[in-house]
Amino acid sequence: MSSGRWIAADDRVEVEVRLNGEAATLEATPRWMLADAIRAHGLTGTHLGCEDGVCGACTVLLDGDPVRSCLVLALRAAGSRVDTVESLGTPDALHPVQEALRAARGLQCGFCTPGFAVLGAWLREHEPDADAERVREVVSSNLCRCTGYQPILEAFGR
Amino acid sequence: MKAPPFAYARAESVADALALLAEAGDEAKLLAGGQSLLPLLVHRVVRPTHLVDIDGLDELGGSTRDARGLVLGALTRHAELERAQLEGRERLLSLAAAQVGHVPIRFRGTLGGSVAHADPAAELPVALLALDAEIVARSSSGERTIPARNFFLGPFTTALAPDEAVVAVVVPESARRGTAAFAEFAPRAGDFALASVGVAALVEDGRTSGVRIVLGAIEATPVRATVAEDLLEGEALAVAAIAEAAHVAARDCDPIEDPSTSATYRRALVRHLVRDALRTLRGADA
Amino acid sequence: MTGRIVGTSVSRARDADLLTGRGRFVADLDLPGQAWARVVRSPVPRAKLSRVGVEDALALPGVVVVLIADDVPDVRIPIRVSFAATEAAAQVLQPLLARNAVRYVGEPVALVLAEDPWTAEDAAELVILDLELEDVSEDLVASASEGAPRVHAELGTNVVHTASTRFGDVEEAFAGADVIVRRRLELPRQTGVPIETRGLVAEPTTDGVTVWGAAKVKHFNRTATAELLGLDPGSVRLVEVDVGGGFGVRGELYPEDVLVPLAALRLGRPVKWIEDRSEHLVATNHSRGQAHDLELAATRDGRLVAMRGEHWVDQGAYVRTHGVLPTLLPSSHLPGPYVWEAFELTAHAVLTNRTPVGTYRGPGMTEAAFVRERMLDVLAAELALDPAELRRRNLIRAESMPFTYDLGPDAPPIVYESGDFAGSFERLLDEAGYEELRREAGEGVGIGISAAVELIAIGPYEDASVAVAADGRATVRVGVGSLGQGVETVLAQIAADELGLAVEAVEVRHHDTGDVADGFGSYASRSTVVAGNAVALACRALRERAAAEESELAGVGEVRARFERAHPSYSFGAALSVVSVDAETGRVRPLRHVVLHDVGRAINPALVEGQLVGAAMQGIAGALSEELPYDATGQPLARSLADYRVPTSEEAPVFETILVEHPVADNPLGVKGAGEAGIVGAPAAVANAVADALPADAHDVLALPLTPQRVHALVTRAGRPPTE
Repeated sequence: MSSGRWIAADDRVEVEVRLNGEAATLEATPRWMLADAIRAHGLTGTHLGCEDGVCGACTVLLDGDPVRSCLVLALRAAGSRVDTVESLGTPDALHPVQEALRAARGLQCGFCTPGFAVLGAWLREHEPDADAERVREVVSSNLCRCTGYQPILEAFGR
Repeated sequence: MKAPPFAYARAESVADALALLAEAGDEAKLLAGGQSLLPLLVHRVVRPTHLVDIDGLDELGGSTRDARGLVLGALTRHAELERAQLEGRERLLSLAAAQVGHVPIRFRGTLGGSVAHADPAAELPVALLALDAEIVARSSSGERTIPARNFFLGPFTTALAPDEAVVAVVVPESARRGTAAFAEFAPRAGDFALASVGVAALVEDGRTSGVRIVLGAIEATPVRATVAEDLLEGEALAVAAIAEAAHVAARDCDPIEDPSTSATYRRALVRHLVRDALRTLRGADA
Repeated sequence: MTGRIVGTSVSRARDADLLTGRGRFVADLDLPGQAWARVVRSPVPRAKLSRVGVEDALALPGVVVVLIADDVPDVRIPIRVSFAATEAAAQVLQPLLARNAVRYVGEPVALVLAEDPWTAEDAAELVILDLELEDVSEDLVASASEGAPRVHAELGTNVVHTASTRFGDVEEAFAGADVIVRRRLELPRQTGVPIETRGLVAEPTTDGVTVWGAAKVKHFNRTATAELLGLDPGSVRLVEVDVGGGFGVRGELYPEDVLVPLAALRLGRPVKWIEDRSEHLVATNHSRGQAHDLELAATRDGRLVAMRGEHWVDQGAYVRTHGVLPTLLPSSHLPGPYVWEAFELTAHAVLTNRTPVGTYRGPGMTEAAFVRERMLDVLAAELALDPAELRRRNLIRAESMPFTYDLGPDAPPIVYESGDFAGSFERLLDEAGYEELRREAGEGVGIGISAAVELIAIGPYEDASVAVAADGRATVRVGVGSLGQGVETVLAQIAADELGLAVEAVEVRHHDTGDVADGFGSYASRSTVVAGNAVALACRALRERAAAEESELAGVGEVRARFERAHPSYSFGAALSVVSVDAETGRVRPLRHVVLHDVGRAINPALVEGQLVGAAMQGIAGALSEELPYDATGQPLARSLADYRVPTSEEAPVFETILVEHPVADNPLGVKGAGEAGIVGAPAAVANAVADALPADAHDVLALPLTPQRVHALVTRAGRPPTE
């Protein structure tokens, strides 16, 4: 490894990102996924349900696109925009998608909920006229084990 | 499920990526979108010593048209292909890309990554074979073009040399004409296909030519159902012809048998999907 | 009593936090100085274990210690469900870490403690296991046979328990019947798969240990953990944080529940353990796996006469906290909501070299409903009767309540105390539009129905305490827990009505064994019934005391009450499923699912509906896509959510719920549990719908899951025909 270009597996690196609209420095090693780095930074709303890209509980926006943050190396996010569930709303001022989920009772245990909220907010902003089939397709990206999906589909359809 | 140890470098150019690969040795891997590699990594099924990250390289993004045809950069995301306004047989790329995993996977996964990974169940290799596309591979000694039919050698095995990277895919200019259809069967939305079919053809005066019927997730690589293709060549896409082509494609394929999916069942899916795809083709033309 | 708040769909206070990512799940907790734990698990299903070598693991920088069997107490995970404990079961309990033998892929063999989870996982791979591999039985029924490789050599058999249930004279009844049908039916192993895996954070305290991440049965686990570690129960504190679903599989006492606090005490520093998904699928309880031979006898005019059955339940490699309960539950549910002259049911608890088994939502009852309801449709076809009509002729009528099956001196009776089974079933058919569905079902569309009873609200009791502060806010303490279903909201509603307060003025505390003295926990759809009534009684006692003392509510102090429940009850449910089946691919698309349940009284209708729909979705997927298969060498094949196919929204039908509120006399609130109800009849209804949709010459639907490939095989008649 003579070029000096390599970062060793467990070397800590600072990763500069634009996190929820503000400049931030994440700490990570090459082995950390973006989800790990976000959570270590204190934003624990992004959840790990499977770590192999199936459940979507870890969904964040990377440069505006919804992605599985468990399938993005933290170091890859350097220089990018990262938006997590914490950017959407607060308990006193819910994002419209969060309010729609709440009103439709589209959550029970709440573990998958941040992933759906991020997905829903993205859909609402980028495809406000999405038809029912497209809504179903997007909702099918993430797993929920509690609700049976009906109220989530209802919330996204609003 | 945390990844095993690896050293990491972010490439600044393709030449830089190749140099880093050379420095790292045999157990290094290129990392593009990561949607195929990272799940294998966290399950510790693969243990590369080094990862060379090419995901941010602008020179591998984008697409152009030149004398060769449609040139797609290796880092073209599935989501971009899905939304591209492609016409003629080129549309098969969009149709296939739309079937890859789920929406968030498609924002990260790349054409070059899918091609180099060569999962027998992957959709884009099917499209490339059906379109007679070529894969452009570059090493430090230069570039070469490998036709899709010579590129996929086996499960997760391609004709790429260890020091080569996929930089582009070229789709022949003639693919701008004609029609295409794609059909796949997966247990759940977003699951790997148990079987997929890409069909493409020119249709003039109701008769097809240049018919391609490609099966995915059936054998170790995407394969053409050549006897079925020959049956349709020059013929109209009538109901009976479609049924026979589907029957023949199912009869002649040699499906993988694995613990959860039998060859018999795969054959049944081939028949169903070939028929559906050809019907769509006929409908698209009509 | 009609409440102002009880009976309304009040929102949950927790939702805003959960929606905005402000939940606090156990993985979100970090304590200063914490070490990370990683369990080393057996990679093989059955082997002699001669040595666990930790030298290489210890040499890795960042590894603190590696614990093996010699380093931990030689204790066993106890049986919590005492009536399901047997002498034989007591011989096959699980140690904390394997010693001398491993018995299933996933069995804990060592515990690595390291500074971070990456290092811990690296180190776990470096632990050397000297294993001498041994053969395993190829399937469940083979494992029960005489010559099968012994899962536990000491036991001399793999059948750890056999139980018989008898009513009436089965021989005579069968002799007198006109029609007899008999089949072998099979269900696969399945499991709850909450989206949050298990996890624990343990911190040593001055005299004991605090453990976060507990759920379901905190007080039992607290006491058991203390006993196993040789500590005073008062010095062990279990705290429930936000919980990402339970479904019966989270919250039982597992080896990790003892190992993690043990490690914290050993190290003198906090220890954090978060299960990963691949581990979860082999380490957290499996359920459902069983085979049934069932015979039904009836008269020519469709009157059920008798049932005879033998079933084998896969209990896995060790008996854990549920004892042989998974084996006992089907028998008490097989008769169901129907009138039988006689039945005889034999149940075998079978050990296998596979993940140990516990209860998953609607345990035993979901399996029994599938098996019986499928057979009723087989019988209906034999009698040329509409399946609904066959049920109509045999459902227990309202006038017959309370209805008892006396099972003899050695077994508690099956008692249905209240309900209008026949009437509720009619209501389902009516509201679902059954007749019209039958008339208009096109090709490939099938309609299936099921009716079932469900054991709910097991006692023995729950305590609740309530106090009102000077500012008018009430604090309620209960010993049940939340798995995410909203129980604290429901209990707050009850207290609010009883005390005349706004629901926002009631705080329900249930999280901390240090704060709530005692409790049995949240399972068997009992929390609303048992804890809810305890809360109501405590509030009434508070009001009475305030009245007697001529004081404000706030002046009375804390009042405790207990609601006792000598025996569980049964509630009635029914389901209707509409599916379309593509005979070419075998794909089953659930189109519509109607679930009816008698909930006694809905404290919060929206939450109840949410439970019914969520549970029904699990049941539908249980019918169509979920299975935990093992290959012939005993290797589990599902190691990812890519393999264990829990459904996406694309696999969901349109749901409708019908809440029946049939008056219940056995508790002051008049409630029955509903947390599991939606799942119980779902696989049965879906399986019947698939069978209805298939061509007449297809093989019988007798096994789950009805994956596309299996349905295709039924249509093409590949494989063996149904047993006669």
